[in-house]
Amino acid sequence: MADETGRDWVRQYAREHVVHLVVVALLGLYPFFYDAITHSIVGAEATTVLPQMETMVAVFYFGLFAMSFDFISGYTGYLSFGHAIFYGTGAYFVVLVSNGKIPLLGAGTPFMVSLVLAGLLAVVIALLVGSISFRLSGVYFAMITLGVSQVAYVFIRGWDFVSSNPKDGAAVVGHPTGFNIGVPWVDSLNLAIGPLVGDELSLAWIHLGTTQVSYYLVGLVVLACYLVMQRLIHSPFGKVMVAIRENEERAEAVGYEPYRYKLAAFAVSGFFAAIAGGLFAGFRRSVAPENSMYFLVTGDALLSSIIGGFGTLAGPLYGRLFDETLREFLSKEGAGGGLLPYLQGHVPGGVMDAVIYNGLTVGEAINTFLNGHASLYIGVVFVVFVLYVPGGLLGTIRGRAGGPLAKRVGRLLGGDGE
Amino acid sequence: MILPLLADALGQFFRPDTLVNVFVDGLSKAAIYAMIALGLTLVFGLLGVLNFAHGSLTMIGAYLGGLVMVLVVGSATGDVARLAAFFFALVFVFAALAALGGLMEVGLIRELYDRPPVYQILLTFGLTLILDELTRIAVTFYGLQPVAKWQDALGTKPAFMATSVHVGGVDLSPLSLFEIALGAVVVLGVWLFLTRTRYGLVIRAGSEDDEMTAALGIDVHRVFTVVFALGSGLAGIAGVLLMWDQVWGASLPLAQQTLLPAFVVVIVGGLGTFRGTVVAALLVGMVDATMTWWFQNAVSFAGLPQMMIFLVLVVTLVVRPQGLFGIAEVGDH
Repeated sequence: MADETGRDWVRQYAREHVVHLVVVALLGLYPFFYDAITHSIVGAEATTVLPQMETMVAVFYFGLFAMSFDFISGYTGYLSFGHAIFYGTGAYFVVLVSNGKIPLLGAGTPFMVSLVLAGLLAVVIALLVGSISFRLSGVYFAMITLGVSQVAYVFIRGWDFVSSNPKDGAAVVGHPTGFNIGVPWVDSLNLAIGPLVGDELSLAWIHLGTTQVSYYLVGLVVLACYLVMQRLIHSPFGKVMVAIRENEERAEAVGYEPYRYKLAAFAVSGFFAAIAGGLFAGFRRSVAPENSMYFLVTGDALLSSIIGGFGTLAGPLYGRLFDETLREFLSKEGAGGGLLPYLQGHVPGGVMDAVIYNGLTVGEAINTFLNGHASLYIGVVFVVFVLYVPGGLLGTIRGRAGGPLAKRVGRLLGGDGE
Repeated sequence: MILPLLADALGQFFRPDTLVNVFVDGLSKAAIYAMIALGLTLVFGLLGVLNFAHGSLTMIGAYLGGLVMVLVVGSATGDVARLAAFFFALVFVFAALAALGGLMEVGLIRELYDRPPVYQILLTFGLTLILDELTRIAVTFYGLQPVAKWQDALGTKPAFMATSVHVGGVDLSPLSLFEIALGAVVVLGVWLFLTRTRYGLVIRAGSEDDEMTAALGIDVHRVFTVVFALGSGLAGIAGVLLMWDQVWGASLPLAQQTLLPAFVVVIVGGLGTFRGTVVAALLVGMVDATMTWWFQNAVSFAGLPQMMIFLVLVVTLVVRPQGLFGIAEVGDH
């Protein structure tokens, strides 16, 4: 009997992860798909529209940061507007360890170890910040977390321990090879990430470049982190988080102590935000105050969360995918393909030089209003989502399906769908 | 090693002329902080909306004010004419930004009064992205550097303001005095408007209890629009003032540079209280001036003033979460 229920549980668990498997499989095939389609007859168009591999790595690590932001903000309703402090902690910690600046940890400390340590450091910071912040709620909570993270931002910007020019951040100098992701201290089970210094991989007829290897490795870490957070959200602990969001007084009246749950959720979210920051610094091999600790970094996570679905764990990843894809499409440099290089290559020069109005040519107009101005269009999409699609992409789908997608699909596959 | 240096610096700091210098500097900073925070606090007090777009409105005000000045003022323009142009720019920018603010309230923010306060933060945050990027497009289109300060606009201030005068051992900059005067006039004007006019009475009643005010037959929604327009206009004139200040200047990052201190002032004072905002502006201004002196003379940490300003915010929220003059319930969800 016990065996029977045991197997049922496994089957149900497997069914509820079918959606995850499908998404992971699609993402796993993406590099091959991208490679194939960009070398096909529609190659130029595909390069223009699809995000390149390097962008996808950024989608992964920043998506993880946005998920961790959503974990606390979307599920407990406490808007953590200073979340960048954890991302920055992770990023700076990894860089400082690799430069041999952290006592007891040499420059040769395995990347996986410094990632976990960065996460634990963020947990400590989260407990400290949370213990003062969670006595407040609403706008005040958002503001005190913002205040603390800005203190950290100004501090790291002026602390000459970090590098000789802390305003510009720090680069990895003490660790010339790429950072390894894998099992620490076992060389054969490790591969290095980084667009330039990472490992390449040749298995039978498959050849993966450095960025593709980084894509899989960073993706793997993000997947593991996602699954842990997903497990927590669907555990009794996660139910209490949602109860706090819906009605904190009632959650307290039922006998849960909200303060403890909020603090624990904050610590978990800080941990994964630091992992995301560590992956970012490990892949980019440098960090600057503006792209790690600054409050607009939190703003970017907020954008991804709202567009992808506030209060859905996977949503922010899709939100970030949208964000990065649009930015690459409208980028000024045209690296990885985008609108401008495509038009320059495929539209006759006469059209680009045609004057629309008052000496303004088509090419100049595109340059003025489109390229490098993705923020404008993302802002418009964001405002439209806040006003008319408050659930975001995933939240809306979830609303239509009548519950989390993974659970709904699982139930349908189990045959007890309505 | 450190101690004698510190004692030396302390001795220097507590000299009368230093104290007067720091005090005047603090007053001028306080005037600026009050001007950038007043609109924010009015809007929060009545509408309950923490307007993330406030800094962007200040930045747009700085550019618009600069535009008026650059167009009107030539190298031959005299000091009096420059001042007159400045006041014309103030009126123009106030009107333009009040109109923009009114449109934003009617078109977008009105949709969200029934939702949790977090959504208003989200919406106005989205608006900052749009406003900043549109400004960036306009600014680069006209061949200006978006990140660097707009030097042409800085150069339109009267010649006597660009220098500093030495009075009795104290360095006074006429621009600082002008900022203090303008800040005082604006604070006084808003205060008179709130306390001495019938419309001000309605606004105060609405801040207290908007449902009751509506029940008494007042069209609260129109008052909301007017206050949002007023707040935006105030943000704009603060920008016009900053356009002349060497420390600030018209640039795109001005949006964030003013938004964050404005938040600090508004929260430290107590969200939505006029008196609290003015007192907090004085406090933050003095802290800023003091820390700026310490950085320039004793401590080699460049971020000191900024860090202390945010620490004031954190400490206030820990010790007295509702702010200096705030009421505990406001701002909770």
